[in-house]
Amino acid sequence: MNRRRLALIGLGVLLVLGLALPYLGASSFIVSLTSTILIAAILASSVNFLAGEGGMVSLGHAGIAAASSYGVGWASRQGLDTGLQVLIALGVTLAVSFIYGLLSMRTSGIYFLMVTLAVGMLIYGLAFRLSSVTGGENGISGVIRPAWMGQYWTYYYVVLACFVLVTAALWLIGRSPFGASLKGLRDSESRMRSLGYSVPSYRLGAFMISGFVAGLAGLLSVWLTAFVSPSSAGVDRSVHLIIIVILGGIGTLLGPLIGATVVVLVENVLSSYVERWPTVLGLIFILVILFARAGIAGSAGKLLRRLRGNGGARTPGGRGSSASEAVSERNHNA
Amino acid sequence: MFEPLFLAQQALNGLSFGALLFLLASGLTLVFGLMRIVNMAHGAFYMLGGYVGVVVATLTGNLLLAGIAAAAVVGFTAFVVELGLLRFVRGQELPEVLLTIGVSFVIADLCLAIFGGDPQNLPADVRIPGALVIGELTYPWYRIFVIGVAAVIGIALILVQSRTRVGAIVRAGVDDREIITAMGVNIRWVFTGMFVVGAALAGIAGTIGAGMQSILPGVQNEVLLYALVVIIIGGLGSIPGAAVGSILIGLIDAFAKAWIPELAYFTIFLPMALVLVFRPTGLFGRVA
Repeated sequence: MNRRRLALIGLGVLLVLGLALPYLGASSFIVSLTSTILIAAILASSVNFLAGEGGMVSLGHAGIAAASSYGVGWASRQGLDTGLQVLIALGVTLAVSFIYGLLSMRTSGIYFLMVTLAVGMLIYGLAFRLSSVTGGENGISGVIRPAWMGQYWTYYYVVLACFVLVTAALWLIGRSPFGASLKGLRDSESRMRSLGYSVPSYRLGAFMISGFVAGLAGLLSVWLTAFVSPSSAGVDRSVHLIIIVILGGIGTLLGPLIGATVVVLVENVLSSYVERWPTVLGLIFILVILFARAGIAGSAGKLLRRLRGNGGARTPGGRGSSASEAVSERNHNA
Repeated sequence: MFEPLFLAQQALNGLSFGALLFLLASGLTLVFGLMRIVNMAHGAFYMLGGYVGVVVATLTGNLLLAGIAAAAVVGFTAFVVELGLLRFVRGQELPEVLLTIGVSFVIADLCLAIFGGDPQNLPADVRIPGALVIGELTYPWYRIFVIGVAAVIGIALILVQSRTRVGAIVRAGVDDREIITAMGVNIRWVFTGMFVVGAALAGIAGTIGAGMQSILPGVQNEVLLYALVVIIIGGLGSIPGAAVGSILIGLIDAFAKAWIPELAYFTIFLPMALVLVFRPTGLFGRVA
C-alpha cells in the first residue's frame, strides 16, 4: 500500500506542477513547448496502449492523427463552425481507424507493424497527392482554434486536461475486463482463441480506442500550430512515436510523457545546437533497445524495486518489462 | 489514353520499375526468410548505395565499378550493423525490427550530412546511351538494361538457392535452425552472410535506381514502402513471390501514375489490402 501511496503522491505533485506552470513565470515559449510535449504524449499514449496492452506495435499512428488534423483543416477552410469541425475530425478519425483495424486485425507482430506502416504511408500519399482536398505539399494553414481557448495558456490547460483524461481513461481500460482480454491476446493468442474469444474483434476494438486517442492528438496539434502538412503523416513521425514509447517504457503509465519530453526537447531545443540531432535521436533509441529495453520509466521502476529489495511486487512502472518481454517471448515460441 | 503506343510505353515503364523493385525486394525477402527480420534499414541501404554509386560513377565514369563500390560499402555497413548490433538481440522479433529502424534513422541522417540534400542522379555518360526504336516506340536502353540486370540476378539467386551447397545451407537454416546447427554449420555466420548479401543487393539497386529516379532525403522511406508492399504481396521469404509482386506493383504503379495521378499511391495498397484479407501469407508465402 505504501508504494501505491507514493505513486499517487508523485502523480499529484506532477499534476500540481503542470497546473501551476503558467504561473511560475514560464514564458509563452516554454508553455507552448509543454503543450507540444503533452500532445506528443497523448499521441504516444495511443501507441503505447496498443503496444503495452495488446502487444501490437503500430508504425502508422501519425497517419491517424494527421487524418484528424486534415479533417479539421478541411472543415475550417469550408468555413464550418467549431462543432462541425470537431465532428468531421471525429468522423474521419473513426473511419480511418476502422480501415487500419480492419486491415491489421488478422495480423500480429511484425506483420502488424508492416500493415500499419503501409496504411500510414497511404495517408501520407493521399495528403501529398490529393491536393484539391489537402492542399498538397503546402498543406492547410490558418486553422484557428475557437476563441475561448485562443490564449496560449488557456489552450495549455485544455491540452493538459485532455492529457490527464486520456491517461486516466487508458489506465482504466487497461484494468477493465476488456484490457485483461487484450493482455491475454498479447501473451497467448492461441489460448485466447481456444477459450472462445474472437481475436480479430478484440484487436479491432483496441485499435478503435487507440485511434480515437490519436485523432484527439491530431485535433489538438492542428489547433496548436494552426497548420497541417503531409509530413505530419510521414513515416518519420510514426517512428518518432515508437521512439517515444520505447524510450519512456512500453506499457508504463508515464512512459509516453517521459519519452515525449526527451524527444520533443531533442527535436526543438537540441536541434538548435546540434545539426545532426536525428543521428543523436537514433543513437539514443539504439542504446535504449540494446541496454534498457524497459525504457526510462520501466528501468527506473526496476531500479527502485531492486533498491528496496523486493523484486516480486508489481507496480505500474514495472509492467514495461513484462510487456516487452512477453512480445519477444511469444515470438521465440512461434 | 488507350493507344497501343502509350500502353506499350507504360508497360515497359512498369516492367523496368518492377525490375528495380525486385532488386530491392529480393534482398529484403531473403533476409526475412532466413533470419525472420524485417530489415527496416533496407531503404537506407538503398539510399547509401545510390549516393556511393553516384559519387563513384562521377569519378570513374564506370557503372560496373560504381555498382561494385556501392555493394562493397553497403555490405560492409551491414556487416558492422549485424555484428555490432543485431547479434545482441538475435531471435527477439520486435527489438530486431526496432533496431533496424534506429539504424535507418542514423544512416539517412549521416547521408544527408555527407552527401547533402540535393537530388542526385547517375551522370548521363555512364548510363547506357540511346534508345530502342521499334516503329513509333522509342524506349531508353538503360531501362531495358535494368530489366536485364534484375532478370540475371533473380535467376542467379534462384540457382544458388536450389543448386549449390551454400543455397542448401540457407534452405536448411530456413527450415530447421537447430538441426543445421547440430550438423556443424555455424548458423550465426550464415545469418551475417545473408544480411550482408541482402544489403549489397539493396546497394546495387540504389546505384542502378539512381539512373531512373533521383536519390534524395526521404527516398529511403519511399523505396522501403514499395519493397514492403512487394514482399507482403509475394509472400515473405519467397524469391518467386518477390518477382511476381515486383512486376505486379511496377505495372500497377506505372499505369496508375499515368491514368489517375491523384490516387497513385492508393492503387498499390489496394492489391496489398486484398492479399492481406484473402491470403495473409502472401501469394507464394508459406504458413510460418
